[in-house]
Parts: sequence; structure tokens; C-alpha cells
Amino acid sequence: MSKSIWSKITEVDRRVLYWVMFIALAIPFISPLGMPVPVTEMTKAVYDKVESLGPKNIALFSIAGGVSAWPEIAPSMVAVMRHLVKKEVKIVVWGFFTDQDITLDMITSNVPELKTKYKYGEDWVYMGYLAGGETAVAALASDVHSVFKADKYGTPVEKLPLIQRVKSAKDIDLVLTVDTGSYILYYVRHWNVGKGTPVAEIGIAMQADMVVYYPTNLVGLMIGVRGGAEYEKLIGRLGDGTVRMDAINISHLLFIIAIALANVGYIATRRKK
Amino acid sequence: MPYPTDPLILSGAWASVILTLMVYSYVLYKENLAYRFTEHTYISTSLAISVVVASQTLTNNAFLPLSKGDISYVIPIILGLLLFTLPFRQVRWISRYPLAFVVGVGTGLAMRGAVHAQMVAQVLTAITLPKAPQPIDWFNFFFSLIAFLTSTSYFIFTREHTGFMAIPTKIGRYMIMLALGSYFGNTILFRMAMLSGRVEEILKVFGIIPWR
Amino acid sequence: MMFEYFFAVKEIAALSSAIQKWAIIISTFALGLGIITTFRIHIAHVKRRSKGQWFFSAWLMGFFVLLTLIGLWNTKFIVYDWTFKNVYVALSTTLYAITGFYIFTAAYRAFRARSIEATILIVSGVLILLRNAPIGEAIWSGFPTLGEWVLMKGQVGGMRTLTFVAAVGLVVFGIRTLLGMERGYYGGE
Repeated sequence: MSKSIWSKITEVDRRVLYWVMFIALAIPFISPLGMPVPVTEMTKAVYDKVESLGPKNIALFSIAGGVSAWPEIAPSMVAVMRHLVKKEVKIVVWGFFTDQDITLDMITSNVPELKTKYKYGEDWVYMGYLAGGETAVAALASDVHSVFKADKYGTPVEKLPLIQRVKSAKDIDLVLTVDTGSYILYYVRHWNVGKGTPVAEIGIAMQADMVVYYPTNLVGLMIGVRGGAEYEKLIGRLGDGTVRMDAINISHLLFIIAIALANVGYIATRRKK
Repeated sequence: MPYPTDPLILSGAWASVILTLMVYSYVLYKENLAYRFTEHTYISTSLAISVVVASQTLTNNAFLPLSKGDISYVIPIILGLLLFTLPFRQVRWISRYPLAFVVGVGTGLAMRGAVHAQMVAQVLTAITLPKAPQPIDWFNFFFSLIAFLTSTSYFIFTREHTGFMAIPTKIGRYMIMLALGSYFGNTILFRMAMLSGRVEEILKVFGIIPWR
Repeated sequence: MMFEYFFAVKEIAALSSAIQKWAIIISTFALGLGIITTFRIHIAHVKRRSKGQWFFSAWLMGFFVLLTLIGLWNTKFIVYDWTFKNVYVALSTTLYAITGFYIFTAAYRAFRARSIEATILIVSGVLILLRNAPIGEAIWSGFPTLGEWVLMKGQVGGMRTLTFVAAVGLVVFGIRTLLGMERGYYGGE
């Protein structure tokens, strides 16, 4: 029995679908749509909190996301860091991923003011990597100096004026956690609930389920590359996030067409039976 | 930004794109030697970076204070070394001690944090009335509350989902589907952003779009 | 850990802090465990000359040893730096992104509105798609509003349940672990 057109459509070779997606993602980079990105409540909340900080405040920039998630979170990381530097906020950086050095290199190459305008040790400091997951986050909330004896480059904490000011979570004015997993939960549990420190997340899109903690435990939540594009618009400096939103537009449209086509085909083939 | 001419940057960019295409040859064509090569290369590089970073961290945060006279660091260093008996069957029992230590600490911390943040705080937020209530705020409040109660009843109550339990658990299932559908939608954003990043890199290096 | 949380005793807090510090250091050693296991598997392949595998195993181990030695000597050395900035970053992002293809076929093949639950899932997902992509607003101005409602209010009840239930499970599992009833973490039954 010859197959109906709907059967053929629903049973197309997966590689055809892969090529369709691949080409569809390429088109908007070649011919940009340039659609505006409206700013949403949670990203604005993060922006407003950073905007309220100044040279007397200390922010913690926690890298709990790997290099593999750069296309999603790099635009947000760079935009937020630019904002922090513009407000002259003091920045403590540490992280929980073994490849975070490369991430920090990427941020400093996009935000050169960290090396030119900021003085290392006084205005910003990079403490390095920590294993231990929740144990590490909880230990840092109580006593930073018991965990970190030196920064990433081996400089003892006694020689770093900025980290001398940070003894526990209570000395941090805002935690910005770049997250691809559970670290936001650890910060909420031990830094926010435990010590009252404001926490904001720069997360991948799948972290949107953290919205249950907003606004009680989370200042705000930047969701994936969309959050990055929104933040770029807020700081008035468009970048990778905005460029990538065109590809997001086309890919999402393709998904909706695929789901619609699949369901129309399903209904059509079911009716025939 | 003009197309780079620096050999180091250029070689790196081309290596990156060639490796990307080798990986995608598996998806866009079929499994092949090129893909297997990239798989093994990735494993070796990620293991290497783990070892290097771990040794730097241990040097700064364990061996450095030990060298300064704080002998209490001997205990975790010895326990850490005992972990390496895990892959060897005859002496595997030794690794149970450091494992039990780490699991105990982690469990204690997770439990104390989870109770307040994930249980008490969530219930409090669910039952807290809206502050400056408009009609839509009341609708949202009752919707969230009913969704929370019904979906919790679906998960937690062990009584069979029949009789008076039938409707709330059914509504609960629908609310969970609503949440999972939202999660799926966000997952698509994540995956597409990741894929678009690589596509952009390929187009950039091939000179089809300007280098930024 | 539990005692320190509920009782403000200085000595307990100091002990708790020390124990947490030790756990972090022990966890750092655990990074090396993966290497032993990996090497055992791949040495076996090389010894057996497993068809179509042994040369990849040899490459894996050789490249790992080379990079590790260079990295331990000097992480700014050109070979190490170049490899990580170009090879590791490319492979890391690419392998993570490969699932984008699979999710597309999953959406095309599996997302059928076979039941009310499946329909709710699909509608919710599509509204979020139209909220995340600015093109949603171009199609109809109501889509972002609906999508935002689903994200901020609609799904919150269900997500809150999943969070709550996960915490209940964590506490139960934690109590069982502390009482020695769960032995899976060290290979027991």
C-alpha cells in the first residue's frame, strides 16, 4: 500500500531534519533580521540591583558553568561584567569548573578594563577553582579564609587587600552565579537563606525552573542567551547575545512548524485508520 | 574586525572549525573515524585540564598551608590519597572511609539547606497573599496555590487516585505537564543557542560572515 | 553539620568549618580517580589490540600525558594554551551542542498531542518558545504576554511541587544514608 503524504512527511530521514536545522541556523547570520529584544522583568531586576551598587560594594562573580555552555551564557557574563566595571564595583571571582580559567580569559579579553582600569588585589581578585560542590559553597558562606589560603596565582590571602575584606557571605553585597547546574540552589540554601546575601543567577535557559525562588530568594534570573541580549540592550552595548537572537528566532519558528506539521500529520494518519 | 592574519589565531580558528565539522559528520552523515578521533581527543584534554587545575588547587589550598606549619592538613591529604584505592578490588574497602566522610558532610549540608529553602520557603511563598492585589494577582495566586496543592497530592499521597482523589490528582498531572512543557521550551532555547554558536563560528572562519 | 546549623556554639562552628574544608580537599583528589579508571580501560584496549579502537586509546593516553606534563610545568606555554583555547573549547561546545539536533527530531517525531496531558505540554512549550524568541511578538503581540505568564505564574505551581518533592526525597535519602541504610555510594548493596 502506498504511503500517504503525511506518512512520508512524518517518517522523513532524521539527517534531512538535521541539515534543515543546520542551514536554518546559518541563514540569519548571513542575512540578519535585526528584531528588537524586549526586556523582561527578571533580567531588569538583575540590572537594577547591579545599578544600585558602587565602588564601596563587593560583588561575587561565581563561575559554575563550563566552557561548553559559552554560546548560552558568555553574552550574559560579558554584559554583566561590563556593567560591574562601569559601576566600579569590587569583584571577587571564584568557580567550580576546572576549565574556568579559559572562561575568565574570555571575559577579560572582552572586558579589558579588568586589567587596565582595575587593580588586581584591590579592585578585583581571582581565587581559582574549588572542588566539593555544595560543601564548598557552604564552607565559603561561613569562612572564606579557611577555604582559600591563596588566590589562583599562589599569592597568599594576606597580601590581597580585597579578599581580606571578605571573610564570609555577609561581606558580599551581591552574588552573581553563572550557572549550568545546581550551584544556584547551593547559593540560595547557604548564602541567601543562611546568611541573607542577595543572589542573582546568570543561567542557561534550563535554569528557568529557578523562577520558583524569585523574588523571595533570588534578586533576579537571566535566562540563557535571551537574558544576555536583554542585558546588552540595558547597558546600551549590543554584542553576541543580540546577534544570536536572530538564529533563535528562526530556529524557534522551525520548531513550531515541525511540531505543527507532526501533529497535523498524526491527526491525518489517525483519521485514515 | 578584519579577518585575522596572525598565524596562531588563524590556525586555532581553523582547527576549531575542522574539529566541529568532524563532530557534526556523525550527525549529518554517519559514525566515522573522524568523529571517534574527536571524542577521544576531548576526553584526553578534559582529563588533562582536570589534573592540572586540581594540582594547582591542592598546592594553593592544602600543601601551601601545610608547608607553613598547619599540620591539620595532613588528615585530608591522607584521606584524599586513600581515595585512589577505589579502582583496585583488593584494597577498595579503604576508600570507603574518605567517601563516607565526604558523603556525610555533603548530606548534612544538603539536608539542612533543603528543608528551609526548598520546603518551608516554597510553602510560605505559595500561601503568601499578593501585596497590592489586582484581580489578575488574585487569579495568579489561586492558580499557583491550586497547582501546587494538586500536583503535590499527585506525588506524595500514597492513597489510590480514585474517588475523591481522582480530580485533584488529575489536575495535578496537568499542572506538572504545564511545568514540564515550559521546561521543554526553555531546553529548546538552550540547545538552539549552543548550536547557533557553533554555526556562527563556522561561518566566521569560512569568511561567509564578518569576523567579530 | 546539622548541629552547627541549629546551635550557635563557637567550638562546633570551628569544627564544622574544618570538616568542610577537609571534604573540599578530599573532593579535589577525586578528580584524579577518573584518570585511573579511564587508563585501565584504554590500556586493556591497547594490550588486546582491540580492532578499530586500540589506536584511539593510545592517542587518548599519549595526548593526555603530553598535555598534563606541559600544563603542570607551565600553563601559559603555547602548546597547552593553544590546545585548550582552540581544541578543548571547540570540542566542548560542539559536543554539548550536538543535542540540539536530537531535540529537533524529538520534537518532530515524538511531540504528538495524543492525550490532554501531551496537549498541555505542547501548548505550554510552544508558548515559551514564542516568549523566548522575539519573533513571537511579531506574529501576535499576545504571545509574549501569555508566554511570560506561563513562565512566571503558570508553571510555578508545578515547578514548586517538583522542588518540594525533590527536597523531601533528599531528606529521606539523607537520613537513610546517615543511618547506614543506603550503601550505594561506596559500592555496597
